[in-house]
Amino acid sequence: MDRRKFLKVAAGGAAGAGVATTGFLLTTAGEKPASVVARREVPTTCEMCVNKCSMIAVVEDGVIKKLNPNPENPKSRGMLCARGNAGIQQVYDPSRLKRPLIRVGARGEGKWRPASWEEAFDFAAQKLAAVKEKYGPQGSLWSSTESFQESFFKSLGLAFGSPNVERHPTLCLASVNLAYSLTYGTMPSFDLQNAKYIIISGANRLESFITPDTMDLIQSATDRKARLIYLDPRFTVTAAKADEWYPIKPGTDLAFILAMLRVIVEEDRFDKEFVSTYCVGFEQLAEHVKPFTPEWAAFETEIPAKEIVRIAREFSDAAPRAVYYAGRRSSWYRDDFSMRRAQAILNAIVGSWDRQGGMVPNGKVELGELLFLPWDDPVAPRADEMDKNFPLAAKGDGAYLTLRENVLAGTPYPVKAWMVHKQDPMNMLPDQAKTIRMIEQMDFIGVIDIQMSDTAWYADVIFPESTFLERQDPVEILPGIWPVVVMRQPVIPPLHDTKPTLEIVQGLAKRLNLSQYFDYTIEQWVHEQVKDLPVNLPLEHLKQHGVYVPPGFPKYGTTLKPEHRFVTKSGKIELFSERLKEAGYDPLPVYQSPQQPPAGKLRLILGRRAYITQANSTNNPWLSSFQPENDLWLHPTVAENMGIQDGDKVEVSSSVGTVRLKSRVTQEIRPDCVFMLHGYGKRSKWQRLVYGVGAADAQILETAWDKVSGGAAFHETFVKVRKV
Amino acid sequence: MAARAKRYALVIDARKCINCKACVVACRAENGVPLGKSRNWINEEIRGEYPRLLATFEPEQCHHCQDPACVRVCPTGASRQRPDGVVVINQSDCVGCRYCMIACPYDARFFREDSGVVEKCDLCASRLDRGELPACVETCPSKLRVFGDMNDPSSDIAKLLATRQYRVKKEEAGTNPRIFYLL
Repeated sequence: MDRRKFLKVAAGGAAGAGVATTGFLLTTAGEKPASVVARREVPTTCEMCVNKCSMIAVVEDGVIKKLNPNPENPKSRGMLCARGNAGIQQVYDPSRLKRPLIRVGARGEGKWRPASWEEAFDFAAQKLAAVKEKYGPQGSLWSSTESFQESFFKSLGLAFGSPNVERHPTLCLASVNLAYSLTYGTMPSFDLQNAKYIIISGANRLESFITPDTMDLIQSATDRKARLIYLDPRFTVTAAKADEWYPIKPGTDLAFILAMLRVIVEEDRFDKEFVSTYCVGFEQLAEHVKPFTPEWAAFETEIPAKEIVRIAREFSDAAPRAVYYAGRRSSWYRDDFSMRRAQAILNAIVGSWDRQGGMVPNGKVELGELLFLPWDDPVAPRADEMDKNFPLAAKGDGAYLTLRENVLAGTPYPVKAWMVHKQDPMNMLPDQAKTIRMIEQMDFIGVIDIQMSDTAWYADVIFPESTFLERQDPVEILPGIWPVVVMRQPVIPPLHDTKPTLEIVQGLAKRLNLSQYFDYTIEQWVHEQVKDLPVNLPLEHLKQHGVYVPPGFPKYGTTLKPEHRFVTKSGKIELFSERLKEAGYDPLPVYQSPQQPPAGKLRLILGRRAYITQANSTNNPWLSSFQPENDLWLHPTVAENMGIQDGDKVEVSSSVGTVRLKSRVTQEIRPDCVFMLHGYGKRSKWQRLVYGVGAADAQILETAWDKVSGGAAFHETFVKVRKV
Repeated sequence: MAARAKRYALVIDARKCINCKACVVACRAENGVPLGKSRNWINEEIRGEYPRLLATFEPEQCHHCQDPACVRVCPTGASRQRPDGVVVINQSDCVGCRYCMIACPYDARFFREDSGVVEKCDLCASRLDRGELPACVETCPSKLRVFGDMNDPSSDIAKLLATRQYRVKKEEAGTNPRIFYLL
């Protein structure tokens, strides 16, 4: 029974999920004395992670009491995860940022004085202007992560004249996005609801992150609709729910895929018609995969050859309802791009493209745009030298790790001001000591955030943003097989002296003489976005429903016409890539056996849990209660050799740092790896639940990246563990 | 047509549980459950040796028994069963003696130091009275709980109970629990 169905039997009020205020008789089991409560239900959009599920906020007497899922959004599948439910705590967190702050002690000392908005704007604008004067506008760096108001912040950086807008993908999914883009011309979605055979390398979708894919996967796996094959050095929830789990040797997934490709090619199991109509480079691929026998792959991966052969056969039999699932964070190894490319190629040759149960190009919805005065493009080249280092990668996103190297080296020019929008580079980047050196060489650091992150802790001025339940955002399209338009509207007025990002940007722009580029209100912006949506009274519709669901989705087969031109060089799906070859890379995925940890060392692997996926949720009491501190997973035989018992304190060191945390001796991990959760061991004292509690992976991770995408390689650090 | 007595119950498909804790947080928000206490929880078990491992996750809360031991032992009548089967605690009648906590075979109750009364899952009785589903049922990403009137043959829950095999926990306690775990 779904929520709406159950609501039909209810009396009045709650059924129309609008914003109308109703007096409501609150009774508990009909026994408490009835009290009249002003109760409102406001549909809005979650911001606890990047997935943007729809929710309905219940407000009683001006206080947010509950966040419920909004069943009208097909993408959120009528659910709200633990983090979504804990969104209330973000608003009422006593240690959130409540007013602008200006640093008075040394950087990182945590001494602040409250400032007025005028003073904070004046202070930051003077510092930015001084850097511009001395080093040019390219001397400023503007870092931001995906959020509905990110575009205002990025625009300020560009209008200021800086080419250095640095986004998060190279710390996350840059390699997978680039691999699919170079193969198909786009990053598709995976139709897990209808797939019959799903292979996943390491993407721990049932545990690390709750998205529509998670919900489709759990239904498919448990209702026996699909066979789920899962490769991971760690026994995760996804491993527990999979039909088959293989604790693959870390970094060898590409060998497994190459052997699958060989079996499918040699045994003539590929989709010949699809390959000849839509793909280029099959002959080169067939030649390329010849050496990769299942026996060879078995030696590399530690997965038996007969299982590789069987999986390859079952996979091709189930196609086109068979997918090698891409997952999300793809920043693991130095050859990550090649591994993702091989997945994309495998999916292509069995014809799992644009068909039910396969990969599907994302559906499109058109939004309007407010016309604003354009600024001149920045003249300086990017400080991360994307053109030189990663010529095929997405330039607008930047490459974070090469950026940091360049800033520290002062090449190609000095970067001395850093504006950070809702990012925490201190915890996002490996080698925290190096990030601190980057911070130390800045003349100015300004941070916009809702909480005192470790990066805010080192800032000179902090601009407190209103939380997602207190502000109007631009509407946003959630792309995918079911594209929807979602609305985030204020549920309550701001509790503290905070502002939405647009107003912070406008305050700075005014003092930097850039006001002409930001001469609009959020209401005007939203009006232009939605006014032509094909629905009666679009703005009212979005305010009342929180979501606009365009008809006609999912659509399959829109690209399955022989005349369709893919956005690639050849116009076809590129198994062999001329563009890669021209740029000096391998045109087909080449495998290199990964370096193994030397004697006495172990490979550190990372992962997430859905209730604290990003580092910004560990200070939320409703979430951290499930995992108050992180621990180091160690296999029992390894632990025994080191004399470590479950719960002992251990010291973990790499070439860049040392941390201490508790051990967790467990069967759930390979003997050559250790694992820890992200988001603990904070330096900011305002992160009171995790300040100095557990350990920060960023303090011991070494810097390494994938050479094609520039994506960080987070699983390439070998650590020494000892009992302390 | 004579109205049939309602009998609310829960069917849980524990195979679908991914231990994501959405139900626990939703309940905390809905019912103002203080940190450190919980009206619902997930039993976790990992068995076996690397690499042959099995994990099970089993959501649990008050079983809303047909013959609730907690109601029987309550000296003040604070613990009682509604006509629709939901076992509730009238907090103003609870004297905090905690006999019910000892009687409950499922350890589903806890004592609140701040208010001096015992508390547990009431299937979000106030939401039910508004025609809404219990918070845990509604919020679940896996949609593993099916809530409804098992006396209504057209309900999803009655259909599941008629067609699927299930078990109950601690049948030997004789309380006739009304959480049915699908096999």
